[in-house]
Parts: sequence; structure tokens; C-alpha cells
Amino acid sequence: MAHVAQSGAGTAPAILDEVKPAVLPRAVLVSNNRSFSWITEKICGIIEGRTPAWWWVAFCVALFVASFTVAGITYLVATGVGVWGHANPVNWAWDIVNFVFWIGIGHAGTLISAILCLLRQKWRTSINRAAEAMTIFAVVCAGIFPVFHVGRVWFAWYLFPIPTANGVWQNFRSPLEWDVFAVSTYGTVSVLFWYVGLIPDLAVLRDRFTVAGNRVKAFLYGLFAMGWRGSNRHWSNYEMAYLILAGVSTPLVLSVHTIVSFDFAVSLIPGWHTTIFPPYFVAGAIFSGFGMVLTLMLPLRSIYKLEDLITQYHIDCMCKITLATGTMVGYAYAMEFFIAWYGSNPYEGFTFINRAFGPYAWAYWIMITCNVITPQFFWFKKVRQNTTLVWVLSIFVNVGMWFERFVIIVTSLARDFLPSSWGYYSPSIVEIFTFFGTFGVFSVLFLLFIRFLPVMPMAELKAVTPQADPHANHEEFTGHGDPVVERGHA
Amino acid sequence: MSSHAASAPAVLTADSHATAANKALLVGVAGIVVTLIGLFFSSGHVIAFSWLVGVSYWTALAIGMLLMVMIHHIFDASWSVVVRRQWEHGISAFIPLAVLFAPLVVLAWLPSTRDIVWPWMNPAHELHGHGTVGSDVLYIKKSGFLNRNMFTGMTLAFFAVWIWLSARLRKASFTQDTDGDIRWTRMNRVTSALGIPLTALALTFAAIYWIKSLEYHWFSTMYGVWFFANCIRGALCSTVLIMVWLYRRGDYNGVLNTNHFHSIGQLMLAFTIFWAYVTFSQYFLIWNANVPEETFWYNIREINADGSPNQWKYVGIIIILFGHFVVPFLYLLSYRNKIVQPRIRFIACWVLCVIFFDLCYNILPALKDDLGNAEPLFGINLLWTISAVVGVGGICVWSYLRSLPKEKLIPIRDPRIEESLTHHEQHAH
Repeated sequence: MAHVAQSGAGTAPAILDEVKPAVLPRAVLVSNNRSFSWITEKICGIIEGRTPAWWWVAFCVALFVASFTVAGITYLVATGVGVWGHANPVNWAWDIVNFVFWIGIGHAGTLISAILCLLRQKWRTSINRAAEAMTIFAVVCAGIFPVFHVGRVWFAWYLFPIPTANGVWQNFRSPLEWDVFAVSTYGTVSVLFWYVGLIPDLAVLRDRFTVAGNRVKAFLYGLFAMGWRGSNRHWSNYEMAYLILAGVSTPLVLSVHTIVSFDFAVSLIPGWHTTIFPPYFVAGAIFSGFGMVLTLMLPLRSIYKLEDLITQYHIDCMCKITLATGTMVGYAYAMEFFIAWYGSNPYEGFTFINRAFGPYAWAYWIMITCNVITPQFFWFKKVRQNTTLVWVLSIFVNVGMWFERFVIIVTSLARDFLPSSWGYYSPSIVEIFTFFGTFGVFSVLFLLFIRFLPVMPMAELKAVTPQADPHANHEEFTGHGDPVVERGHA
Repeated sequence: MSSHAASAPAVLTADSHATAANKALLVGVAGIVVTLIGLFFSSGHVIAFSWLVGVSYWTALAIGMLLMVMIHHIFDASWSVVVRRQWEHGISAFIPLAVLFAPLVVLAWLPSTRDIVWPWMNPAHELHGHGTVGSDVLYIKKSGFLNRNMFTGMTLAFFAVWIWLSARLRKASFTQDTDGDIRWTRMNRVTSALGIPLTALALTFAAIYWIKSLEYHWFSTMYGVWFFANCIRGALCSTVLIMVWLYRRGDYNGVLNTNHFHSIGQLMLAFTIFWAYVTFSQYFLIWNANVPEETFWYNIREINADGSPNQWKYVGIIIILFGHFVVPFLYLLSYRNKIVQPRIRFIACWVLCVIFFDLCYNILPALKDDLGNAEPLFGINLLWTISAVVGVGGICVWSYLRSLPKEKLIPIRDPRIEESLTHHEQHAH
């Protein structure tokens, strides 16, 4: 028998009669009272309309830039990994810097989709689709570097646990091996999460192309829509699958960057071995991820006139998260520096002094300026309301987070325990080509995404419009929620 | 059906609150007296350490509540409005906590007891076979930070920050009940935006000064985050106890619904995982690197000088690993365990107990016997530690209960109060 207290029903305490809330309306997530059909037309119109000239220009430029990566990698494979600038004592440099940089960017998508989903932050709906796409493309870019850093890339499959082949046994005690599993799992789940979210929208496009008589497109979108008909059962299964994927993605997104931080923190290298690395890396990844989301979404908003869907409130939220995570990163920098002194280990102390005042001081202060000082501008409403300034600041965040990884990795290695082996690392042209080109790879993929897939989840957007709220325009306070289960089974 | 709520009085009277407050005060005084009686059975060091556990424990809970209030404001959260008022009452405890911490500072300034807790307070303090603190190069290097003046000034600053923030947040919220002015909500958002980083810094350095520096050779950049995780977990669990207590007394009847319990249960689960993440990361990175200047801290909590295992090893495995993580993690996965009041109350009590043991694990092994081994947890000394926690707790609960009847039960003019009262379980997206 259920033991449920019928709270609210008939025994409402006197205090409820005194409830008279002050008026502070919540920001609307779709402004200008846009209708459901307007949202559909707006999002689908991006795909259905003629390919704009700017898109072709951007696509060609992106392809050209991407060719730098192809050239760099081709030369490396043909010649050997020695064409990179690595040399004792800096045997890890741009390859890992770039890997961590891109993986970090790849965190915002899952964060926005999964964690904000679990936290019931409805503002995520306008940006989650593009952020998820960004995640996948960033993981693709990230994967290039460790795979080619193995030297003979045709042996990269040795990373996978196939122990009977050639008597190769992987070192399961190495976080680098864990990276293989963490990143590949993360990539897989991110694709799945993105794809599941796309299904209802793909069905919309299928139906629209069917009506328009474009059978090829209707077939292709229909193929990937997997027979979606929008029935109650479909929606029910969809919601459950989405929630489960959000639940799975959340620990994954945290684990990936935790393991990336372990790549360094499990070692004995001063500046690497510090216990705060896992949460510090995660905060940094979210920080850089939001930086990139702002960098991408603000131009997109402007080009496609999406101001009613990506409102000032969305920009405010993203700026505030960037501010919060930037401050967390600043806390971690300060704590590292402080404990390097407090711990009284001369090597640790030297490393941090060397970072701030040694040959790489320029990189350190770029990092501090971009990651700690820049986001502090987001305290000011006027800054957050100036989208051009926000966009510029987001670029600083991206730059700063690249330099953070550079500072951590290179400065610790360049001046290690043995002064006679100290060196100064500079990248070779091949490394510069390879990294530069990844921006092209990323842009090519992102442009294709904009052109062929809905940049926002239409159904979810409609669900957060003011008119979708069943209590919209119901001024009167009407109920007290579900009853409390006092004990036993309801 | 249990008609507990229906038969309960609608609202507690001021008299019954006063009676409850007096009882809490009595318990607090009794706890303090018992702790002082401990001086006849154990050394002054033991009693001072016990007192440190007691004050740290309740300060952690109060910090957690302060953070919850500020996080609530910064997120413009709705569901938690009805429980936020209890946090606002809870953070009234900072003033008594500052007073209760004072004896430790005073003892540090008395010539005969200056190293009663923190060895570095006394340069002449003997290190087991390694000279004195004053001649210890590791102390000399950090003596600019670890000295009595800094300790006293910083501790005063920590409490000043917490008391100031609490006073601002409380005043704005309580005043809004009467005038309904929206500027109080805005003011609290600004206070929270500034207060969160300030509190984060204060709690980090409090953890370093009060707890980590007990073994001042040791260092870990994660320590502040570990303390933060315990603060939040403690605050959430004590909130559950308050919610259930007020509901069953009738005050919260019609105010709380299942979803409030579910939401707070979800946060408990999230922070259980967060605590484990932080604690494991610290342990794992130190274990894996195996550097003696870091591992000694865990070694003290595992083995004696002769290599034999000590009690702390089992405290670590059974209470910290299983009690603090595995049990609450598995328990809180269940939906029903989060919404059925006795069930969530049980796990809240459980976690509050293991937070106590976690603090013991971090503080008490700094007490060494003549051989340099950590004093065992289970023994007569534990009694004084418990009585200290009860003593400080009684005073904190008294402070809470004194504040409770003076204000409205819920923030009736808060702009999100209706959303909170109608808090429905929502699909997450």
C-alpha cells in the first residue's frame, strides 16, 4: 500500500497564502514570439536554399588550409617523425599540445548537450547541435597528432589490444594507452549522441524534400531518419535514448580529459606531477570548448540572422560559463604556483619560476593574459552585449588555451633535471603546416555540417518557446506539485 | 496511508522553536563539557585535535550551505528557493563557529601550548629524531606562510569573509520578505558572483592552514578541492535532515514535494561522484608517482614505522572508500531511495558520519605516539572527538534554531517561489 502524504491537497499551510512573488520575468529562449513554423522554415531554409557564395569561398579556403595538414603528414610519413622539431630533452611538443588543444575544444559539445541537459538548462537547445558537431570534428583533428606521432603510422594499430599479433603487448599501465580507449569511446558516443538528436530533424527534412519532389534528398535524409514518424512511441524511445546517452556521456567527457591530464600527472616531471591536474584539465577543456562555441556561433548567428534563436541571454550564459571556468583555471594556475613554493621542492619551484621568467616567459604571459585576464571582461554586461567584442575575446580564449598546453608541456621538458641537456624547442615548418591545416580540416567539416544538416534541434527549440509552455499566460498560481512520499511505496 | 502531515500542526510555534533551541544549546554545552573532561583521561594534544575536528566539521557544513545559497543565486535556480531559506538560517552559525575556533588560536599564542595542534607554531618543537621545527629546512622555506601571525590573520580573514557574505545574503533575502523588492534578488546575485571566488579561496587556505599543515612537509594541489567536495556533501545531507524534520513537523507540509527530494538526492549523488573523483585522483597520482615526500602522508595512514598495518589502513579502505563512496553511490542511484523520506534521511545521516571520519582521517593521524606512529582512531580518544563534534554541533544547531522562527519559513516574495512550489519533475531536455 502506498504511503503518500497528500501534501498540498486540503492541508495547505497558511504560509502559502502569503506567497506573493516579486516580478522578475525569465528571459525568453526564442524571442519575438516566433511560431513553430517560423523555426522550421528558418532552420530548414539554411539547407534548402541555394548555397551562398560566402559558403563556397569559405569552403575553398578551408580546403586549401586543410591541404597543409595533408602536405605535412605526407612529408612526415615519407620521411620520418624526425622532421618535427622534437629533440632531446623536448620529446613531446606540438603533437601533444595540439592533441590536447583539440580534445579540449571537443568537450564543449558534450558538456552543453549532456551536462547542461542533466542540469535542465534549457538554453542549451540553441547551441547544442552545432557544439556536438564541433566536438566530433575536434576529436577528428585531435586524433591526427598522436596517430602520426607514433612514427610509423602503419603500426598504429599496435595500440589496440590484439596481443597475439606479432607478440605485441600493450602497456596497460600507461595513460597513453588509456587515451586510446577513452578518446575512441568518447568519439563513438559523441557521434551516437549527435546522431540520435538529429533523427527527428532528418525526418522533417525527408518530409519536406518529399513534398518538394526532390527524391534523391528525400531518400538520403529518409535513410538516416530511420523511419521516424513522430509517433508517441518514437518520441518516448527517443527521449529515453537521449537521456541515457546524456548519462553515459557525462562521465565520459570527464574521464577523457582526466586521462589526458594523467598523461602528464603520473610522471615525475616537475610541473606535470601535480594532483590538481584532473579537475584543472576538465575546467580548462570546458573553457576552451565554450571559447570555440562562441567563435563559431556568433558569425553563424549573424550570417543566418539567428538572433531570435541565439539570443543575448544565450550569449550571456556562454560568457558567464567562460568566465567561471576561466577563473577556475586561474585558481589552478595559482594553486600550482603556490604549492610549488609551499612544497619546497627545488625542482618544482624552479620549473614555475622558469615558466614565468625563463626563455618561454612570453608564452606563459600570453597564457595568463588570455586565460585569466581576458575572461574577466565578461563580468561587464556591456562587454557581453557587444557581440563583436565577445567574438574577439573568444579568440583570445582559444589562443590562450593552446598556449596553456604549450607552457605545460614544453617548458617542463626544455629545462629538465639535467642542466647540461637543456634546450630550446622550436617547431619545424612541417609541424606548423600540420597544425595550421587542422583548422582547415575542422572548418571543412563544420561548413559541410552547416550546409547539409540542421544547425539547431528544431523540436527542442519549439519546446522552449513561450507558447510551448502549458502554463504560459496562466497568471494564477494553481498547484503545489507532486505529493511527498513519506515512506514505503507509492 | 501515513497521515503524518495531516495530523501535524501546520506551523511550529515560536515556543516550540525556543524549546528546541534550548535543547540544542544544552547538548552543545554537554558536548563541550565532556570534551573538557577528556583532559583528565587524554593529553591536551588529543583534546585540541578533537576540537579541531569538531570545528572543522561544522565549519565545512556551514561553508557548504553558504556556497549552496550563492550557487542558487548565480544559477537563478527555481526548485531550491523553498530550501534556500534553511541554508540562510544555517549560515548564521559562522559567528559562533568563529568564537568556537578562537580557543585553538589562543592556545597557539600561549607559550606552553603553542604547538598543541600545529607543530610549526613552535620552532623548538621536536621532530621525531630529526631535530626541531626551527632547524628544519622544509619549515624554514615556508615559514613566511606558516607562522602564528599569518595563521591568526588568515583565520580571522576567513571568518570575516564568510560572516560578511552570510550577513549580506541573509539580510537581502529576509528584507525581500517584507518589501518584495526585486533589487534584493539582484543584490544577492552580485554578492554571490563575488562571494563564490572569495569563499573558494578562503576555504582552500583554511584547509591548508587548519588541516594540511598539521603535517607541513606534505603538499597536494588538490587539497582545497577535496575540502570543497566535503563541504557541499555535508551541506546537502544536513539540508535533507532539515527538510525531513520540518516536513514531518508539519511546517513544510504543502511546500515540499517529491521532486525537491529527488533534486537534492541527485545533487548528493553528483557530489558523491565528485568527491570520489577528487579523492581518488589525489591518491592515485601520489601512489603512482611514488615520491617519498608525498607518499609518506598516505603511509602514515596505512602502516606503522615497523611496517605493520595500523588501524587507519582499515579506516581508509572500509570507511573512506566504501563508506564515503561505494555505499552512497550505489544507494543514491535508486530513484526511490532519493524520494522516500526515511531512505534519503538514512543516507544523509550515513554520509554525515563518514564526512566526520574523513576529517578524522585527515586530521588525527598527525597525532603521533613516541615511535612516530599515528595514534589509532578507535579508542578512548574517539570519545572526545565525538563529544567535540556534538558540542560544536549543538551550538551551531542552536544558532540555526534561533534564526529559524524569526523569519518566514520560505522566501515568500522571491521571484522564483512559485516555480519552486510547483517544482515538477521535468524531462531533462
